[in-house]
Amino acid sequence: MRLLALASRALKETYRDPLALGFLLGFPLVFMLLFGAIFSGNEAPSFAIGVVDQDNTAVSQAFASQALPMVPGLEVSSYDDTDTALKDLKFGELNAYIVIPPGFGQQVAQNWQGEKADITLNMTYDESDVMISQQLITIINEVTRAFARIEVPVTVDAEPIHVENQIGYIDFIGPGIITFGLLILIPTSARTIVRDREKGMLSRLLTTPTRPVDFIGGYSLSNVAITVAQIVIFVFGAWAMGMDIVGNLGLAFIIFFLAGLCSVGIGMVIASLSRSETQAEPLAWLFSMPLAMLSGCWFSIELMPSYIRAVAFAFPYAHTIEAARGVLIRGVGLEAVGTDLLFLVGWAVAIFAIGIILFRRSMRS
Amino acid sequence: MASPDNGFAVQTLNLSRKFGDLTAVDGIDLGIKKGELFALLGPNGAGKTTTINILCCLLKPSGGTARIMGYDILKQPFQVKEIIGVSPQETVTSEHLNPRENLELIGRLHGMNASQLKTKTQDFLKTMGLESRAKDQVRKFSGGMKRRLTIMMALVHDPQVVFLDEPTLGLDPQARRAVWEYINKLKREKTILLTTHYMDEADFLADRIGIMDEGKIAALGTSHELKNSLLEKQTMVIQAQDLSPQAVEPIRTKYAEVELTGDTLKISDRQLSFQEIVDTLHAAGATVRSAYIKEPTLDDVFLQITGKELRE
Repeated sequence: MRLLALASRALKETYRDPLALGFLLGFPLVFMLLFGAIFSGNEAPSFAIGVVDQDNTAVSQAFASQALPMVPGLEVSSYDDTDTALKDLKFGELNAYIVIPPGFGQQVAQNWQGEKADITLNMTYDESDVMISQQLITIINEVTRAFARIEVPVTVDAEPIHVENQIGYIDFIGPGIITFGLLILIPTSARTIVRDREKGMLSRLLTTPTRPVDFIGGYSLSNVAITVAQIVIFVFGAWAMGMDIVGNLGLAFIIFFLAGLCSVGIGMVIASLSRSETQAEPLAWLFSMPLAMLSGCWFSIELMPSYIRAVAFAFPYAHTIEAARGVLIRGVGLEAVGTDLLFLVGWAVAIFAIGIILFRRSMRS
Repeated sequence: MASPDNGFAVQTLNLSRKFGDLTAVDGIDLGIKKGELFALLGPNGAGKTTTINILCCLLKPSGGTARIMGYDILKQPFQVKEIIGVSPQETVTSEHLNPRENLELIGRLHGMNASQLKTKTQDFLKTMGLESRAKDQVRKFSGGMKRRLTIMMALVHDPQVVFLDEPTLGLDPQARRAVWEYINKLKREKTILLTTHYMDEADFLADRIGIMDEGKIAALGTSHELKNSLLEKQTMVIQAQDLSPQAVEPIRTKYAEVELTGDTLKISDRQLSFQEIVDTLHAAGATVRSAYIKEPTLDDVFLQITGKELRE
């Protein structure tokens, strides 16, 4: 069968090409390994803070020498003056220092007695690391509120929701990285077609009694085989890195498979619109890398502005990550990811239809 | 159903192709007989490859049509593709496949079954001297090996008509000779249309030659016929001592083209009188050492017909 002959050829051309294979499998696996290694540590972060007690009352001393050191991960050192503390902060010995101002003890005591109080602490922190300073501000805020017995206005629901297991970073990042691997199919599938056209292989094959449908089917089938291999390898890789699989693996496979089909379709569209490999390759990367970022392959898109999220959800990959995360980590079923699945099916059908029309047109010219 | 083929394997009928304002193929009428090896000879840009691409159904003609074994290229492209074999100008192979897989790919696309393919590829690999490298990827092959493989790929399915577009382009003399010998063996078995811009290639291989220039067939015939057409103009080359411009002057007044370079005198005209020229030179004090009538070559034919040299 002509279609199978062409598919088998395209598949061999890809898996025997170290560069293509490196991009398709190596690149995402390296990402997975890196992210997994970076966030694999379960140790609590450790912060060095200095305390300058200008109040010097029994209350302030109790805060500095008893309350603060009780917080896990805080290494508290006492300083006599702010100059020395500032110097250590600048030299990186400290992450922050707190100045307990005069009157702190009195204000805290007033609060204990139920009187109106204005408790102030001055904190100086290293601005160069935003993430650490934000965490420190939160920690100091919480410990001070607890110490002064200030009612915390937010009620934290202590019940775990959905989560049936302890979620690590690899659980969160796993579905994103797998989707990233499938996004790389865009440049790869575009390259296969454009290279054949540029090197005259497509013309050569067009002199044989082969119909356009055989070509389209052949290229697609080889890329579909690659998609299946990618999903199996990536899911296994993520699992080996410690990703817990709670939900239905079959459903997760379907979600990823549809994303892979969309990538193959997008690749076909890019290949049909490009004149050469040098044009198709950057175009495909230019499309897929920002899309990987937007879709939340590496970090949560919850914090992104709403218009960016709207763009992300116009493409299949944000849906893929969200649905796959739901199935793999939270263990939800078809009822929860049905809409995402429908969106993916619609996208795959539409992009393939466009791809086939454009590819046929490019073959004629 | 094939149309009557009039004994022609390939027949073009006022075939033309335009690319914008440029007319690449300009109304050519050509008939190539079954079993004939026909060479389209012409410089780069003459329209040879465009003609082949139209005949292989890769390009649609702007005007006219062609028939391959009676099948119309416009109305029956699928049937045409079933009976042709094509070796394109560029060496086109699947680089990450081995030669056996490359041959099998074309065979399978032409509907050959596994056992037919096995026998055929084995034979071909032997013919190409590639048996020991049957499992090596083609990207590791030399230019000559790839070229031979490209030609084999055009033949694996036993086509009736074979198109060879510049089959020895870029090959060293030894590899070229090997390809020539192989093509020579195919003569009579297949109808072959080859394009070339090498005179010696057309001269050595072709039964008939069509000289193509600016999209037109400028001359057509066997190598012998084309050269004979120039015989009405003779060229004599004389080597002599003490040849001065004064000594040559009387000859210059009598003959159309006289060219003096050092000790060599080249004279061309419709009719040359050998005795008269030698006597004239003697009388002027020159000593003739050798003199011969130069046989016309295809280069001369080309120059005569198109008014330009055939570029490499």
